[in-house]
Amino acid sequence: MARQGGSDLARREQRLAYWLLAPTFIILLAIAIYPLFSVFYTSFTNNVFASAAPTEFVGFQNYQRLLSMTIRQLPPRLDEAGRPIVDPNTGAVQYESAVTVLPREPIRFRPVTQFDLFGTRYVLGATDPNFIRAVWDTIVFAVATVFLELVLGMIVALIVNANFKGRGFMRAIILIPWAIPTAVSSQMWAYMLQPNRTGFFNTVFWYLGLGNGEIPFLSDPAWQLPSMIMIDVWKTTPFMALLLLAGLQLIPGDIYEAADVDGAGPVRQFFQLTLPLLKGTIAVALVFRTLDALRVFDLFQIVLGQARYSMASFTYYELIQNRQMGYSSASSVVIFLVLSVFAVTYMRSLGVKSDDH
Amino acid sequence: MTTKMKRRINRILLWVLIVLMAVWMLFPFYWAINSSFKSEGMLAMTPTTFIPRDPVTREVSFFTRNYEAVFTNQAFLRGIVNSVIVATSVTLLSLAIGSFAGFALGKLRYRGKTATLYVILAMTMFPAIAVLTGLYAMINNLGIPPIPSMIITYMLFTLPFTAWVLTAFFRELPTEIFQSAQVDGASPFQTFYMIMLPLTAPALVTTGLLAFIGAWNEYLFALTFTSIAPDARTLPVIIANFPSQFSRQIPFGEIMAGGIVSSVPLIALVFIFQRRIVAGLTAGAVKG
Repeated sequence: MARQGGSDLARREQRLAYWLLAPTFIILLAIAIYPLFSVFYTSFTNNVFASAAPTEFVGFQNYQRLLSMTIRQLPPRLDEAGRPIVDPNTGAVQYESAVTVLPREPIRFRPVTQFDLFGTRYVLGATDPNFIRAVWDTIVFAVATVFLELVLGMIVALIVNANFKGRGFMRAIILIPWAIPTAVSSQMWAYMLQPNRTGFFNTVFWYLGLGNGEIPFLSDPAWQLPSMIMIDVWKTTPFMALLLLAGLQLIPGDIYEAADVDGAGPVRQFFQLTLPLLKGTIAVALVFRTLDALRVFDLFQIVLGQARYSMASFTYYELIQNRQMGYSSASSVVIFLVLSVFAVTYMRSLGVKSDDH
Repeated sequence: MTTKMKRRINRILLWVLIVLMAVWMLFPFYWAINSSFKSEGMLAMTPTTFIPRDPVTREVSFFTRNYEAVFTNQAFLRGIVNSVIVATSVTLLSLAIGSFAGFALGKLRYRGKTATLYVILAMTMFPAIAVLTGLYAMINNLGIPPIPSMIITYMLFTLPFTAWVLTAFFRELPTEIFQSAQVDGASPFQTFYMIMLPLTAPALVTTGLLAFIGAWNEYLFALTFTSIAPDARTLPVIIANFPSQFSRQIPFGEIMAGGIVSSVPLIALVFIFQRRIVAGLTAGAVKG
């Protein structure tokens, strides 16, 4: 075959590149971009799956129902003389029922939570308290898990970065929680958290003299989120640890030798050398994990079902249980927007290396 | 002398931490194994026992009916087959298509490369939940059966990841190989297929493993797309909604046995390919 000019070769190379990229982009177009646009579109309709009712365009109604919130002052209950009623046992002021102060028209607001500010009681109402609670719970869950995973992941990374016999074996062991299906680990933990002494935790707490051996870890609202956080920290700390380990391995060893000569102890070395050098890795790992934590689904759906939602499990139940295509689309869009903010941060902190110019 | 002592104390401290870490990582798994060998009567004992014991005699005794039940449970066996089909297909398809894209992104020169790199990177973080409704509608409108649906939609997370990691590996291959093959008259595609691809075999194993594990463990799409097709359910969906054969309560013994069975292949992969998996995981997230 005759050798052709460079520009011809370059053109051929470019054409090949497009051909090779085509399948990937066609698939992503079909399973990501198109559905994303259809979700945006559906979120402005009242579409109900498999329903005979015609689908209508409803504007921002779904978003309004999803996100409307209001804060109202809650007056204390008064006796005939106009004085606030105080509980004789606890000394706590009694308040009116929250529903009495929340608006009912055009959509009924229901109470999400109550809080005290400067001695006055307020009530937070929302048209869909479940969604508002799901958003709040998911954010609390994400912040708590990511923080704990960072601390514990750093400890694990430092351990498996140290020199000891069986290090490879230990690295395989920390991969186990990451590798097993979340469906399996969720069931494992759900069983350990049984609300009586057939469960591991209740038995251990009872042996230690804590609790009556019947702590309802998964049905008591106060215990639900801590339980979820504990399970997720177990499951995803390994991943965090591996990301941090990769960063640790990039730090040249002679830095520490110099520090040893200078007489810096291990703790000082960690805070003055390791931590600053790991800053980039930590930033990437944090955003990466935050993104993951914000879309948590498996754990919440399997362990808590409809007792308490994450943003993702709320969307799932609206779609599959209630068949509300339009409404669940709107909640998908909200999740997408929240995650996009984090994703952009991530891209910024990571940067793309391209060597074509 | 004091330095020696110090070193020894450090050593002991390190091993204490290692043991604590191992217990933390493995204990839930141990508990699942422990529970999987208990009968319903043994599971109902209070306080619970750290090894399976007979409720009356309190002798150590292992109950194996849970495993028998799992392996005679038609739904579970079908789940194994479904999971193998789905995870294998997703892995092979992602590797084939992803290596094309990875080669183009890592080695070829063309206009619009930076933009395509950004798209792939953005896609690695794409939240599946955001398109769940859209995909569900699309699959129902087109009447795609659940298993092909899962195979196609799982590529939402396996394909960008595969392409992204393979891009990094292709980029690290020396350009001279590519150029000298072209000088010898090989077309770019021949260069890719006959020279570059064999060189990236280790990277293919790494990304293939991660794609397989990801597909094997996927739950959201599997649950949604098989909601009215129990026969197409994969293992995670079956474990999470376990169809009981014998017991009337939640059959935790069987669930634990089923969970162990569906985790064993992954644990085997982890121990065989530990290095590769770690390399792939960190390449996906850290390398730019």
